[in-house]
Amino acid sequence: MLLLAQAPKAWHRLFQLKPPALPRTPGGEAQHVRYRLLSRQGPAEMGRQDQPQGPGLRTRLLITALIGAGLGGVWLAMRAEKEQRQQRRRTEALRQAAVGQGDFSLLDHRGQARCKADFRGKWVLMYFGFTHCPDICPEELEKLVQVVRQLEAEPALPPVQPIFITVDPERDDVAAMARYVQDFHPRLLGLTGSAEQVAQVSRSYRVYYSAGPKDEDQDYIVDHSIAIYLLSPDGLFTDYYGRARSAEQVADSVRRHMAAFRSVLH
Amino acid sequence: MVLSPLGMAAPSMKERQACWGARDEYWKCLDENTEDASQCKKLRSSFESSCPQQWIKYFDKRRDYLKFKEKFEAGEFQPPKTAAKS
Repeated sequence: MLLLAQAPKAWHRLFQLKPPALPRTPGGEAQHVRYRLLSRQGPAEMGRQDQPQGPGLRTRLLITALIGAGLGGVWLAMRAEKEQRQQRRRTEALRQAAVGQGDFSLLDHRGQARCKADFRGKWVLMYFGFTHCPDICPEELEKLVQVVRQLEAEPALPPVQPIFITVDPERDDVAAMARYVQDFHPRLLGLTGSAEQVAQVSRSYRVYYSAGPKDEDQDYIVDHSIAIYLLSPDGLFTDYYGRARSAEQVADSVRRHMAAFRSVLH
Repeated sequence: MVLSPLGMAAPSMKERQACWGARDEYWKCLDENTEDASQCKKLRSSFESSCPQQWIKYFDKRRDYLKFKEKFEAGEFQPPKTAAKS
């Protein structure tokens, strides 16, 4: 920083090194320069007529090259420092997001309280739906647990926690969730809560849901956004997968994220 | 199949699969009879007894949508010419 501030002064000084005679003897000096450049001879061999006009071309070139190299070095160092600073700032923002963003307070299907921090250190695949869902939720959950089974079969990979969060807290209590998740995967965790808690977690993952009209059986369908979310071991939202993605495509993407993952938490 | 009263408990995996099976049979019948539901009454009633009412409504709408999508993607969809007096 300091060096750069001094740079204009340095340039100024450099120009002062140039012979003031240059404008006064048009042609003469220029000819010498041309001659010297062509003959590649130093000022010593050129005789003594240049001497009062200041340092020779070699010296001037050398000084220019040194200052140029110095400035280049400063620029590189500053760029590296800026990149480091940006990286630090990004890491700090991610760290704050990791702790705060998308936090939730829900009950699992065994009745145990769960928040996002409980899953720190684990990759999480998460899906929002409801147990009375006619076709899409069971299909998507089936896909999600297929991904988990594929990844489980590779012992080198870190474990993945499958989670199902209800958007129908009115009907999906702890018991309903327990009945529902057992059909899919032994480790699938069902999460439910009060209407407010469900609204809060859905909001933080940008999940839309809206219960339709009730029929004479008090039954209804909940319209909701469909996506499987991937959270990193830092608890950060990392990717999401729509209906069009196959289990293989999702598993490939998760493997890539696992390979590229570097924790921002210590 | 007797479904849980008031539709309060969600169908189990078994019940879901039975419902989807009955739905697919009924839909296949509609495909084979150019959507003539009168040819598929038996399968319709099996479909209705295997699925919650709410799901039947949902699957009926879904079939309409899927048929429309099929036509639309095949470029066969013609906007209905309404005989309205404008």
